[in-house]
Amino acid sequence: MEPVRDIVIVGGGTAGWMAAAALAKTVGSTHRITLIESEEIGTVGVGESTIPPIILFNNLLGINEDEFVRETNATFKLGIEFVDWRRRGHTYFHNFGLLGADLLTGVSFIQYWIRWMRSGGDPDHLRFSAEAEAARQMKFGRAQPAPDGSQPKINYAFQFDAFTYATYLRRYSERRGVIRREGRITGVRQNGESGYIEAVDMQDGSVVRGDFFIDCSGFRGLLIEGAYDAGFEDWSHWLPNNRAAAVPAERMPAITPYTKAQAREAGWQWRIPLQHRTGNGYVYCDSYISDDEAARLLVERLEGKALADPKILRFKAGRRRKSWVNNVLALGLSSGFLEPLESTSIHLVQVGLMKFLEYFPHRHCDPILTARYNEEMAFQYETIRDFIIAHYKVTEREDTEFWKYCKNMSIPDTLTEKLELFRTRGEVKPRIGDLFTDVSWLAVLFGQGIVPQGYHPLADAMPEDELNLKLARIRSAIKQRVEGLPSHGEFIHSCCASEALVAAE
Amino acid sequence: MSGRIATVVIVGRDAPLWITTAAVQRSLGHLDVAVQAIELPSLLQPVDVYSAMPAIQGLHKQIALSEELIIAAAKAVPLVAQRYSNWAGASPAWMVGYDDPPPPGSDVGFVHYWVRGRQEGLKPAFEDFSLAASAAKHARVPVYQDGSELSAAYGYNLAAIPYSLLLKAHANRLGVRVESAPIGDIEVNDDRITAIVLASGDRIEADLFIDASGIEGALIGRLPGSSFESWDEWLPCDRMVVASGAPIDPPPVYSQISAFRAGWVGLYPLQDSTAVIAAYSSKHISQTEVIESLPLPARIPIGGDAVASTLRRGVRSRSWIGNCVAVGEAAIGLDPLESLGLYVTHNCISHLMALFPVRAGTFPEADRYNREIALAGQNLRDIQCAHYALNRRFDEPFWDQCRDRRLPESLERKLEVFSLTAHVPLYDEEPFEEQQWAALLSGAGIFPKRYDPRIDVAPDEVLIQKVQQRLRDIAVTVPNMPSAAEFLKHGRGRLEVAR
Repeated sequence: MEPVRDIVIVGGGTAGWMAAAALAKTVGSTHRITLIESEEIGTVGVGESTIPPIILFNNLLGINEDEFVRETNATFKLGIEFVDWRRRGHTYFHNFGLLGADLLTGVSFIQYWIRWMRSGGDPDHLRFSAEAEAARQMKFGRAQPAPDGSQPKINYAFQFDAFTYATYLRRYSERRGVIRREGRITGVRQNGESGYIEAVDMQDGSVVRGDFFIDCSGFRGLLIEGAYDAGFEDWSHWLPNNRAAAVPAERMPAITPYTKAQAREAGWQWRIPLQHRTGNGYVYCDSYISDDEAARLLVERLEGKALADPKILRFKAGRRRKSWVNNVLALGLSSGFLEPLESTSIHLVQVGLMKFLEYFPHRHCDPILTARYNEEMAFQYETIRDFIIAHYKVTEREDTEFWKYCKNMSIPDTLTEKLELFRTRGEVKPRIGDLFTDVSWLAVLFGQGIVPQGYHPLADAMPEDELNLKLARIRSAIKQRVEGLPSHGEFIHSCCASEALVAAE
Repeated sequence: MSGRIATVVIVGRDAPLWITTAAVQRSLGHLDVAVQAIELPSLLQPVDVYSAMPAIQGLHKQIALSEELIIAAAKAVPLVAQRYSNWAGASPAWMVGYDDPPPPGSDVGFVHYWVRGRQEGLKPAFEDFSLAASAAKHARVPVYQDGSELSAAYGYNLAAIPYSLLLKAHANRLGVRVESAPIGDIEVNDDRITAIVLASGDRIEADLFIDASGIEGALIGRLPGSSFESWDEWLPCDRMVVASGAPIDPPPVYSQISAFRAGWVGLYPLQDSTAVIAAYSSKHISQTEVIESLPLPARIPIGGDAVASTLRRGVRSRSWIGNCVAVGEAAIGLDPLESLGLYVTHNCISHLMALFPVRAGTFPEADRYNREIALAGQNLRDIQCAHYALNRRFDEPFWDQCRDRRLPESLERKLEVFSLTAHVPLYDEEPFEEQQWAALLSGAGIFPKRYDPRIDVAPDEVLIQKVQQRLRDIAVTVPNMPSAAEFLKHGRGRLEVAR
């Protein structure tokens, strides 16, 4: 069994440079890592919103978080605000982190909360989330849990400029020996017998050889589809959005520590605050609205002045049927696409990379491992897909053709079961490896309008005054925790203001 | 009917009945849920043993049954590991210990460090890095020390009749109503049980029925749509013989599982005797032959009290039908390898309690329960199947067939991924952690071809240091644990105070 020596990453952008950085850090001392990208092609870089597991990726790279935030013009994120999803005028918040605290009875906090709510308690479950409380007050701080459990942790992620993120990771990777090759790829050389890819031809006539190739070439999937016809499982009947108009706007005077997702007539609009500007976009389905109309509405609805003309991006929801074939691994858009409603794009790249390291191949890639990898990634995509579909399916809106379609469309069986369990008892009981916990499902399904009809009978075991006391304690601990936090703006200024932010003020 | 569950009736026998009854009563009894047990005639024999992995501690805690009582009444001996001998020709015996050490440094498990060490010429076996295996070899019991939690845990070998009686008395103390009577008739309407009619003529209704009757499936078996998927193909022992032998002094804190030409013999130490279980294939050896040859592999004198029975291996296609939930062997049948018997019951109860229906009448929870139990069963089966399939006893028809058989897909995947990467792909509802799987698979002779490249981030000397640190920690920790004799004499509670 010959070891892999040369790894070639095809395509820069977020996925490509994440792969380069992770490989440089882990196997860089024994492997040659080359990344090919072309400035002509450019990347899809827009404002990018992430979820808390990205901290694990940063830890793997061993990067300094303040420096990372400064250099990518990042802000901190505690969750996502959903506006007009359930019905026009309604707002809810998908909080990061936990809800309440473990009451050590074997019954989840959510069950106690449902009991409390159903007997007249405050239906605002977010009073039990430190992250949501902080977001509401525009505050942020890094806070570890108190050792005695009396104070909750603050879970967070980042909102950053995808272009500067790629640049940042590029610097990181090149410092660790990754070779960057500029230019377009004009040909792919496959071994006649095994079908393995041996090299790619460059426009300048040179040849880049490799033992293993990582396809980060975007939607077209230069290797995974171009050479291997891996196939694409189309999910657009469940997730019809296939375009986005994106435009940067002036920075917000007070930067929100959360991303906003506002439902619109034919899709939804994002607002991702960065230090130096605000990323905006309208994600829509072109059967219900034209590009021009979407772009016009987007610009019209901006909260700050537009800094450029809107750019139209095209995509299709679905998954590459196989994202690892022979000696090619597809990461990022070449392996599938789910709209950025729950900020999962970077996470899927990260998961793909971590699993790849687990199953790190020899020069001959064992089909058993690639099959297992493909299965695990399929599960990741499907579970996130279901969560996103729920935002469209569970709604009161039928005010436009788009929403009529969504409300009445058929959904995957896996989601039907979850919705039924949630309606019955307020929990969906995720599987091992499910990205979204019951806290996330509660935030979204309750936010979208499903009120659980019952709760676990064991939650009745606690006497009412004891439950009230415990809930009051948790609330005051959260209040106290949040009171001690600086404003999001102050926090950024204290340790990680970017040059652009300093210059702007 | 759409109110909450007000009445629960549990039908069954022996420890599974009382475990279920006590657990349900402890959880729901004070919530105005009436819990009633219907006890069917016992099937236990004086020689029977329950062997339980450490998860049983959680159950005892849940039902508030004290360890002191268990040790005194059920002749219990702590169980820290299983030792497998004669499964692989001339290769040494190996242990699967009950421990789950935190990964050193990053989130890459210790097994990867071990694989890398082996590739670089390091000698120790995987079990040398197991705190539990080391404790087992030194006859020590892993209990808390200085308030810090150990990464090793223990279960028990328990004398079956006194343990069941203890549980029954406990359930009575908890206030459960008990009827001891055979069932006359079961009234079924569509897929619902409307009532159980006892031989005495009493008619018993309930919102929810739990079937803890064992392989008989006294309730679930009467409902439509309960087919049984057989695992005979993968768990080849169809019969077992139980006998009792002289005690071993001091009693080992592990079970010794020794393969012979048509099955295996296990020694399960108790305080005043040693239970002996032989599981075998009746196609390859006769019952008389097994009973006559029992003392040989066991090497301890056996009494003339051997009892034989049939093993039913497989899973019910639906363990929750209508208002009836099967737990334990009524849902999943295994053979006695790896001491999973009580765990099956306990595990089913955990699933049932987690999904305990919000309302009587409609049970949207049933589909989820059925899927979880099917998965749990598959994983338990795979643990046992791995032992048979990975044997290296050549030229014995029984063992040759075990090796040649097609594996369940889930297990095949596990073996392949482990042998290629040293990772154990864990599915939902796994009773074993990665560490136990690694101990089982490496013990049975699979040596992974490579390890997770992420550990190469650290320089060699750091790796060597981590590996040596683990050995040092074990060497320092084990002698401070109480011996089995001390433990049995003083009990865990008093030992903790003494420290």
